[in-house]
Amino acid sequence: MLKQDINELLTRTGPGTPMGDLFRQYWVPALLAEELPEDGCPPVRVKLLSERMIAFRDNAGRYGLIDEFCAHRGASLWFGNNEVGGLRCAYHGWKYDVTGQCVEVPSEPDNSTFCEKVKLTAYPLVKVGDVLWTYMGDPAKQPPLPEFEWVHVPPEQTYTSKRWQECNWLQALEGGIDSSHVSWLHSAGLRNDPLFKGSKGNEYNLADMRPFFEVVESDGGLFVGVRRNAEEGKYYWRITPWVMPAFTMVPPRGDHPVHGHFWVPIDDENCWVYTFDYLPVRALTASERQAMQDGHGVHNEYVPGTYRPLANKDNDYLMDREAQRRGETFSGIKGIAMQDASLQESMGPIVDRSKERLVSADSGIIKARRKLVQAALALSEDGVTPPGVDPAHHRVRSAAIVLEQQESFLEACADAVVATPGVPQTSV
Amino acid sequence: MTSMRPTLLSSCALATTAAEARFRIDGRPQPPRAALVVALDAGAAVIVERLAARDWQGARFLRYEPDHADGARRDLADVVLTSADGDVPLSEQLPSTDFMMMIATVDDGAEAATAIGNACTLHGIMTAGLVFANGGDANAAVSALRPHARVLLVSHDEEDAAEVLSAVGA
Repeated sequence: MLKQDINELLTRTGPGTPMGDLFRQYWVPALLAEELPEDGCPPVRVKLLSERMIAFRDNAGRYGLIDEFCAHRGASLWFGNNEVGGLRCAYHGWKYDVTGQCVEVPSEPDNSTFCEKVKLTAYPLVKVGDVLWTYMGDPAKQPPLPEFEWVHVPPEQTYTSKRWQECNWLQALEGGIDSSHVSWLHSAGLRNDPLFKGSKGNEYNLADMRPFFEVVESDGGLFVGVRRNAEEGKYYWRITPWVMPAFTMVPPRGDHPVHGHFWVPIDDENCWVYTFDYLPVRALTASERQAMQDGHGVHNEYVPGTYRPLANKDNDYLMDREAQRRGETFSGIKGIAMQDASLQESMGPIVDRSKERLVSADSGIIKARRKLVQAALALSEDGVTPPGVDPAHHRVRSAAIVLEQQESFLEACADAVVATPGVPQTSV
Repeated sequence: MTSMRPTLLSSCALATTAAEARFRIDGRPQPPRAALVVALDAGAAVIVERLAARDWQGARFLRYEPDHADGARRDLADVVLTSADGDVPLSEQLPSTDFMMMIATVDDGAEAATAIGNACTLHGIMTAGLVFANGGDANAAVSALRPHARVLLVSHDEEDAAEVLSAVGA
C-alpha cells in the first residue's frame, strides 16, 4: 500500500506539481513524426503534462509546439491556416511563428510593432528517429537530445506506434516494470503472436511460473532481472531496464525485434504509450513490419483515423469469451498491448494505491516509486538533476540469456545491457 | 454459442470511470503480513535495529550471530536468532511467519541464508533478500542470498527495507 499523499505526488504531472516538474527535466515524446508529415501540413492538437498545445510544421520545415489558444480571444489555433512563416488564427487572423512569437496582427496599422509584444508559450520540438520530442522545462537547463537506441538506428531497422491509454501514466508504466504478469496475461501470445512465438526463451517462460526477481539500481533507473529454471544447473534470465522517468524495454525473444515503451502523461487520467520495435543490426523484414502495422506484438489496431485502440473501454475491449475458453487468450482480450491496457484501465483513472496489497515480487515497482519520489523531492528542495536526464543513461538495452546458476546476471550481462552500435541484442 | 453483449451497468465504459470508483467496496482492512526480518551480519543488525524502532503491524526483527558468546560456532541445523529478549530458534518462529526478509551487508551470513532459505522453502514461506553494501562486498552478499531469496533487492538506500515492509503490509 502507498500513502495517499505519495500517490498524489506520483500521479499528478500538471504545471507546478513535483512530478510535473520532474517530467519537465526530460525530453519526452510529443508526437509521431508521421503526424506532421510534410512542410505546411495541418496543425495537430497536443496535450502533454496537462498543457494544451498546437504542433505544426511550417513551410520551411521548422517544427513548432506552442500554446493552443490565440492570445487575442482564446480561440483554438487548431482551426488556423498554416501559411508561409507561421500559423494564422482562423478568428481574426493573428499569426504566430514556430517560436510562439506573434508576427502579424491584421487589425493594427501598417508598421505597428504591437505584435512584437505578443508571444505564446512555446516549447522546442525536435525530430529524433520517428518521434518528435519536446522539452517543457526551463530553457536554461535544456539537456542534450535523447540517445535511446531505438530512435538512432537506421529507419529500416525501427518501427514506432503510439496509442491512447485511458488511465494515469504511472499504472501504465508499472506494467512495463512488472514482468511477472507475462507468464499469465500474455501466455497465449508467447505461443501464437508472430512477433513473439518460436523462441527457446518462451519455453522457459511457460515452464516456470514462479520466477525469482532481482532489482538492481542503475545510473538512470533500475535493472529488473527475472530468472526462471532452464536446463540443469542453469537459469534463464530476462532483464528489463527502466530509465527514469518513463522508459522501459521488454527483454527480447529469439531473433524477434526488441521492443519497449515510453509512457507519457497527457493529463492525470490519460497517457500516450509510445511503442517501438527495432533491431540493432538488421532491417526489419517486410513481414515483421506488416505484423506491427497490423497490431501484433506490442502494437495494436486502431479506430480508423485515430490513435485510439480499436479495442477500447467503450466496446469492452472486444471481449471474446470463447477465445478465452479455448485458451487462445488468457483474459479474452486480443493482443498484448490491449491485454495490458484493459486491465490497467480497469483499475480506474488513477488507481487508489492506499488499498493495494503488494507482495515482495512487486519490489521493482516499489523501488521505482521510491526513486521517483526521491528524485522529485531532490529536485524541488535542492535542484538536483534527476537520473535519466543524462543521455548516457539512455544507452541501455534489455537482454535475455541463459547463465550458470552461480552467475550474477548483471556481471554476466554488463555488455549486453549497454546499447552498442553494430552489436546484436542478447537474446534466447 | 454466441457471445452476449454486456449490460450497461457492467460495461467497461461505465465501470472504469472515476465516478464509478466511488462505489468500490471499502472492505475491511486486510490482515497484516506476518513478517520476520533477520539481519545476517553485524552491519545488517544496525539497519534492522533502526527498522525495529518504527511502528509495524507485528513484524519481528531478529539477528543471526554465527558464534556463541564463548566463541564456539553455532549449529546451523536449527538456526538460532537473537534479539534483546534473548535467543530463539528459527523453528519456533516459522509457524507464525509468512514473509521472511533477510538483510545483508557482507557475505558473512551466507551459511545462515542457506539454512533459513531452506527452512522457508519447506514451510512455504515467501523470502526476500535485501543487500545494502558498496562495491565488491555487495557482490558476495548477493551471491550468498541469490539461491534463497525469491526476491533480491540490491540498494544503497536502507529506507528500501522499510518501503518493502510497508508495501507488503508488515
